Amino acid sequence: MGPDGAPGPAVPWRKVLWERQPFPDNYVDQRFLEELRRNEGIRQYRYWTVVKEAGFVGEQLSCVAIFITLWLYMEQGQLSPERLLWSSLICALLGYGLHQALTSQVQSGCEPRTRLADLQSATIFLSFTFGFSPVLKTLTESVSTDTVYAMSAMMLLAHLVSFPYAQPSPPGSLSLNAALFASVCLASRLPGALHTFAMLSCALLVFALWPCLLQRLREKAPSHFTGVCVGVCFAGVGGLGSQWPGGAVLLALALGSVTLLCPLLLVRLQRHKDNIQGPWDEAEIQEDLSHFLH
Amino acid sequence: MMEDETFTDISGKAISLSCQDHSSLCKEFVVSVPKVSIGKVMVYTCCVWLLAYVVFFFTENTAVLSSAIFITLVGMMLHIHFVKVDHETLLFIGSLGIQLSSSYASGRETTTFIEMGKIKDIVINEAIYMHQIIYYLCVLLKDPSEPNAVARVVPLFQSSKPRLNCLVKVYKSCQEILSKC
Amino acid sequence: MVLKIFFPQCCNRADSGLLVGRWLSGHDSAVVLAVIHYPFIPGQVKQYIQQIQARSGVELSVLGSWSLPKEGQEGMESFLRDLSTIFPQKRWLQINRELGKTGFNCQVLSRDQNGRVIPREIKKKADKIDGDDGEKKGKKKTKKEEEKEKEEEKEKEEEKEKEEEKEKEKEKEKEEEKEKEEDEEEKVIFVHYEQRKVMLSQLHPIENGLSDPTTDPTSELRQMFRSVALSQPLFFLDRYDDGPLKSTHWQSEGREASIIVELLKHSTLPLCVLIRWLLSIWTWICNIRVFSLSPLRFLSSKLSTCVQLSYRTEHMRTLSSQKPAAGHTEFMRKANMVVSVLLDVALGMLLMWWLYKDNHISMLANTLVPAADHVAKELEELLQWLMGAPAGLKMNRALDQVLGRFFLYHIHLWISYIHLMSPFIEGILWYGGLSACFGLTFALSLLSDMVALLTFHIYCFYVYGARLYCLKIYGLSSLWRLFRGKKWNVLRQRVDSCSYDLDQLFIGTLLFTVLLFLLPTTALYYLVFTLLRLVVVLFQGVLHLSVDFINSFPLFAVALRITRSYRLAEGVKFKVLCEEPGTALHLLMEINPLKSSTVVQLYRTPTYSCYPKDSWAALAKKLFVGELIYPWRHKTTKTD
Repeated sequence: MGPDGAPGPAVPWRKVLWERQPFPDNYVDQRFLEELRRNEGIRQYRYWTVVKEAGFVGEQLSCVAIFITLWLYMEQGQLSPERLLWSSLICALLGYGLHQALTSQVQSGCEPRTRLADLQSATIFLSFTFGFSPVLKTLTESVSTDTVYAMSAMMLLAHLVSFPYAQPSPPGSLSLNAALFASVCLASRLPGALHTFAMLSCALLVFALWPCLLQRLREKAPSHFTGVCVGVCFAGVGGLGSQWPGGAVLLALALGSVTLLCPLLLVRLQRHKDNIQGPWDEAEIQEDLSHFLH
Repeated sequence: MMEDETFTDISGKAISLSCQDHSSLCKEFVVSVPKVSIGKVMVYTCCVWLLAYVVFFFTENTAVLSSAIFITLVGMMLHIHFVKVDHETLLFIGSLGIQLSSSYASGRETTTFIEMGKIKDIVINEAIYMHQIIYYLCVLLKDPSEPNAVARVVPLFQSSKPRLNCLVKVYKSCQEILSKC
Repeated sequence: MVLKIFFPQCCNRADSGLLVGRWLSGHDSAVVLAVIHYPFIPGQVKQYIQQIQARSGVELSVLGSWSLPKEGQEGMESFLRDLSTIFPQKRWLQINRELGKTGFNCQVLSRDQNGRVIPREIKKKADKIDGDDGEKKGKKKTKKEEEKEKEEEKEKEEEKEKEEEKEKEKEKEKEEEKEKEEDEEEKVIFVHYEQRKVMLSQLHPIENGLSDPTTDPTSELRQMFRSVALSQPLFFLDRYDDGPLKSTHWQSEGREASIIVELLKHSTLPLCVLIRWLLSIWTWICNIRVFSLSPLRFLSSKLSTCVQLSYRTEHMRTLSSQKPAAGHTEFMRKANMVVSVLLDVALGMLLMWWLYKDNHISMLANTLVPAADHVAKELEELLQWLMGAPAGLKMNRALDQVLGRFFLYHIHLWISYIHLMSPFIEGILWYGGLSACFGLTFALSLLSDMVALLTFHIYCFYVYGARLYCLKIYGLSSLWRLFRGKKWNVLRQRVDSCSYDLDQLFIGTLLFTVLLFLLPTTALYYLVFTLLRLVVVLFQGVLHLSVDFINSFPLFAVALRITRSYRLAEGVKFKVLCEEPGTALHLLMEINPLKSSTVVQLYRTPTYSCYPKDSWAALAKKLFVGELIYPWRHKTTKTD
């Protein structure tokens, strides 16, 4: 007897297994599909909102571009490490001031970091980086340049992929580590130990502290946030253009597609979404991949 | 009383079963496997020698050839001494026990005797073997601590692996003796 | 029911007489041990059997009668039946052989509760003879038999009367019984066994002698083997003895050859006393407090010579103990030990003879120092090569130089040490060679220790490399977790995710990068020195294995298995003997010897290598992680 071949007896079928019924166990009747639901909890996106959110992705992309630009300048000797250090320091102080100002406005943090703790962290960064910079300088000496570039590119890509765009503060471990690894690799190619030190402090600024500030900005002043994003994007394209025009064109295209084209695609493809749910148990494949990683 | 019938083993090769009644209590079953075919030996030998010759052709070292001869001889000896079973014998002596012996092509013979006190029953079992289901005859041994449990299963005719019709014949005779004791 | 009679082969052609043996409890079988010939006095037979029973502890009884007819001796049936009344038994076997036939005939007389004898015919043939027994009984009695009967006349008279009554009743019953017995015809299987082999053989697996054979429901064969082995006193009755009884059973060839054995036995006693005395002195020396101090103790546990010494002391202590070996296992253990010690000493003597014959010692000493120098030179070259760009690998130059110089300095130290030692080496070798008189194992252990001392620099390099590498591996693995934002949870033994601070992340990543880029250099040094170490360990391992082989190989058991294969029995095997139609089934029981591999496995003397060693996978893992490997097993890592 097939699952559907049961004759219609007088007793109505009930969807229970604990009761003896004149149906085979796998029998279902016509009412089964009535409980089918489609696209439950779907969110309707609007184009400009999505573009606004995607701007952050573009901004991070531009940050990477700015860092690469700075490195290119340093490698070719057009930017002395002292100038970079001084400008970094100024930027850091300005950013710190802004951050403090934004924090004091609301007093939202449950346990605000004291100035002393910040100073301690800064000292640790600077002393370790300064101490390690000679070692780091000789670290990749025997490794071929191509390998170093490939490794840095991979790591920067990993940084972009794993960056927590929804909640960039505190920064995600993997994204920050990948970016730092890439910057160490790149910095070890620079001519001197001071160059390495300057590059690493710059990397810290760009990849660790800047997202924190930006997040604060997004929370407190969303209108300024958009402006800042656009500004960073233009700075990235412009900076890269001064060194490598082809790269600038590629970056501009990438930014365009990420901020404009992808949201358009998302909104357009939204109506093709067809997700069905019903009174059945869906099979879930639970694959624990974590044991491959350690 | 000798009777010879042709049976096949699980892969379709012909084997022969001979039953011998020594008395109503004692029966002997011999399952004989065909001898090593000369063609097979030739094929293996030729393969080894051709391979050796190819190696010799490139290395021009005569030790390769002599070692090939040595390998073939030793391999053949090991094969007939440890692998190739010529016939397997099941001697069923009512009230005393079961004796299983298998004699190899070289004449080596291994024998085990299971006492009647240890035997629980003799049955035909089925098993999954590679991609097929085969039947085999086996002796169930009693667990000395627990009278109803089976401690161990000793399969019979392990190397000749006869098919069901042959097994049924042996099984019936064995059960006949078992019921008498 | 089937009656099994175990019949000794040597009694096949024995003269007629009484079967002496025992019924196996719990089984329907009888073991015939001997045949006592006519003429005999029943009282003496009973007395004799009681004597033997007291000495051997086996329940002996008269099983029945045995008749091998000779010319002029026919029709003893009634006489034989009468015997059953003299020796009252529950069942009375009447086995007889006919001329010109190989098979036996057997008749079983059962006695029911009233003491009646009910013959149960096995063969129809037996019926015929049974019919006219009355007449022939008188004729065939010899004079001696009559004398015997007089002694027990009173008993017999009574029983005769009974029997006559019975005879009448039986006639009636017989008709009915015959029909019954046709169906439930009792069958007899004769199992012929060789008495000597069965007596001497030991069935495996060995049972502890503690369990009581009477209450234990042991297997039939085991009981049979046990009863044959225990009834050894029965077999001492010689064929040429002038005693009142004559019997047939297995007989030893005589004691002439065993005089040497007896002499040896007596000479071992003072030897044992001497060894015990020496051992007590040795133990006293060992127990001096200086030796139990921790550095000496540690050293002696690592030196294989000391380990070997302690094993041999243990062996000697076992061998010289006054107690005789209890049981088969103990005996075999001792015998194996004796043989292995003797062989060891013999091989050691051979080695000594070779060493001191043509002044081989000084030759060895003269080659040893240049060899050590050469090894050091080679190592130096290897280090120079590693300090460049080995095999085209690009290493971190700074670290490479540091490591290379560090190791070079060690080699320099080593060479000066060797040169300091070189004048004494010959003396050391000369005195060390003397240790071979204690056995080859001592010499080999000493060699292993010397190799360990001479390659100490390689060991040092290996330890440095391994420690450095181990540190890097552990650091990298924990920093890799930090890199992914995870951490190891010690309490739950798993990896948890964790949010680190910014400065932790930063420093962790810096260290991770540094360690990662320096890893290949360290790993290469580690690899090279590990390979060197493995060569040394392999050599020492081979030495240890051979020492262990000599120590533990059960030479006595293997020799016994080869020369007297029946002594160690795995079981039995049966052969169908003759098949005459109409006679009972005759089987020949042979002893199935133990497999050689099982002999080695079962009887090897337990030594330290019998403990499970690291598997290959575990070894590879240890090597990968950078844990130290040793040729010996750590006592601490052994859990049980």
